[in-house]
Amino acid sequence: MARILIIEDDPATAGEIRTELLGHGHDVKHIADGAEALDCATREPFDAITLDRMLPSLDGLSLVARLRERRIAVPVLMISALSDVDERIAGLRAGGDDYLVKPFASVEMAMRIEVLLRRHQEPATEAILRVGLIELDLIRRRLLVDGEPVRLLHMEFRLLEFLARHHGEVMSRQIIFEQVWGYYFDPGANLINVHIARLRKKIDRPGRPSAIATIKGEGYRLDAA
Amino acid sequence: MPPERLRLRDIRNTSTFRLTALLGLLFAVGVVVLLGLIYVLSVRELDTRTDLVLRQEIARLRQFPPDALPAQMQAEIMRSTHGLNFFLLISARGERRVGNMEPVPVVRLRQDFDIGARPGIHGPLRARAARTMAGETILVARDISTIIDLRRRVLRIVVGSGITIAVSVLAIGVALSLRPLRRVRDMQRASLAIAAGDLAVRMPLAGRGDELDLFAGTVNVMVEEVGRVVAQVKGVTDAIAHDLRTPLTRVRNHLYRALQTPGLDPAVAALAEAATADLGIVLERFAALLRIAELEAGARRSGFGAVDLGMLVDRVRDLYEPLAEERGILLEASVAAPAQTHGDEQLLFEAISNLVDNAIKFSPEGGHVGVRVHHDGGTAVVEVQDNGPGIAVDQRQAVLRRFHRGAGAADIAGAGLGLSVVTAIMHLHNFTLHLDDAAPGLIARLVCNRPGLRAIPE
Repeated sequence: MARILIIEDDPATAGEIRTELLGHGHDVKHIADGAEALDCATREPFDAITLDRMLPSLDGLSLVARLRERRIAVPVLMISALSDVDERIAGLRAGGDDYLVKPFASVEMAMRIEVLLRRHQEPATEAILRVGLIELDLIRRRLLVDGEPVRLLHMEFRLLEFLARHHGEVMSRQIIFEQVWGYYFDPGANLINVHIARLRKKIDRPGRPSAIATIKGEGYRLDAA
Repeated sequence: MPPERLRLRDIRNTSTFRLTALLGLLFAVGVVVLLGLIYVLSVRELDTRTDLVLRQEIARLRQFPPDALPAQMQAEIMRSTHGLNFFLLISARGERRVGNMEPVPVVRLRQDFDIGARPGIHGPLRARAARTMAGETILVARDISTIIDLRRRVLRIVVGSGITIAVSVLAIGVALSLRPLRRVRDMQRASLAIAAGDLAVRMPLAGRGDELDLFAGTVNVMVEEVGRVVAQVKGVTDAIAHDLRTPLTRVRNHLYRALQTPGLDPAVAALAEAATADLGIVLERFAALLRIAELEAGARRSGFGAVDLGMLVDRVRDLYEPLAEERGILLEASVAAPAQTHGDEQLLFEAISNLVDNAIKFSPEGGHVGVRVHHDGGTAVVEVQDNGPGIAVDQRQAVLRRFHRGAGAADIAGAGLGLSVVTAIMHLHNFTLHLDDAAPGLIARLVCNRPGLRAIPE
């Protein structure tokens, strides 16, 4: 369970975020005012923050910039109705860790929070990732499945590495596309599906359930079992 | 974009230069004609006077009796200015009797004729000869060096004046054209920036109130108005985003939560899933429409930088290869000429991805999709070619419009927004998209028109 601060002036959106995060078992606190939220985030420890860009008294960009000035490294998910990539870049440059455009699917928001929490809790310093039968050597860029070497293409390796780092968590197609390929548009669901299908062909073993589970309407999850 | 340096051709094409040149030409022609007329009349007058003097001299000498003629001519020789007038009396047998010049081989009677110069003795002569009653021949000549010299001087003045006026006119024309041309260039740059979507730019005003200022002022008023309308449209778009997308997303979130309810009736769950999927499509189309509006507004510039098109095409190939393979389509990428352009990598990747996605969708099973980067006259071109049904000539512009789907696209998934997104991205970059017949299939050419484009050294 993580402690998450919701900074959002729109009660309906705040309610959505709150419900979704509570559903994921997190402890949440909601503040609608920017300056008040900055004080709170400075005084109290939080594992993550969801931050609206347009806030009364202190806007989201200034708020995250001041947090970073005060050396508070809590991961921040910026949420905004401003969808332009310039705005996304501005948000990330100010100190945000991820950017989500309104309106958003609650589950997508929760996934992004999970990604941020995991990234913050476990800095990517490990040399080998092990998930079930899968063993990824991040230094030599090699994959062993049940002890047998499997050749992966560059992007296949990155895709599996991302899923392995977030194993047990559902990752939406959009998050996968953004985090693995680094582009911020909707390439269509089918494109990520075929990449997952191709990866499955290489890592799945006959007679065993697929290592990558499809969660209908949500995305994919790499399971340990 | 206009070239940084002014070229002679640009100056030559200006109205100022042309008008100056035309007026200068007319002036030069007038001066030359006037001087020429003076020249012709002067020459004729001098020749006439010389001929008259010669005729009068001949007539006077012919009045003397034959036996007095030699003495008279000798007296004339003594009296006349040395080196100006020449006399010669030739007997009937052709012998020289009196004179201060050598006999000439051919003598024409009763008409004026010219005798060539004899260096050290006399210059060019104008002569006239007549026969006396005794059968002798009187020849009177006059040195016309001064007249010929005068003719040459006048001719040099005419030609020199013409050339001087022509050169002066050209220089004045260039000088007068430079400032207006520079102003027009500044206005051209401003108008291109405005056309590219930067509605904060205004046409420069010199403050002289001349015709260029009047024109620039009118355009600025127009841009101001367009900017106001665009801002209004953007406001409406934002309102749509807030007023429709937000509640629709909430509906989808509610449905998602309802689907998580334990023990949900499977029939209800199926309906809720179908509704969620439909809402997803609606929201995707909303997002695409807003994205096109955003791109068309041309507000996004911070992502611009150097983009290696070859690398971009390779990445697109890597992204779409599994999809093509699943449909039994061979997807190939080739970089004939490595090229770099100035643009937004994210957007160019999206544009090329859209074209490749379309090519895969419309290619038959076992088909072929080729992505190629090459140069066409120094301009980088990215081509995406398929061997699908292609697009009829009369449909090629229409498919670039929002929601327009070409004939034969009914069975293919999509909303008809992909090419509109590509067009908007092209417009933002000042690039162009051409759709042509690949016989069979379609060839989509993305032409990077920017002059800043350069080839990467091998």
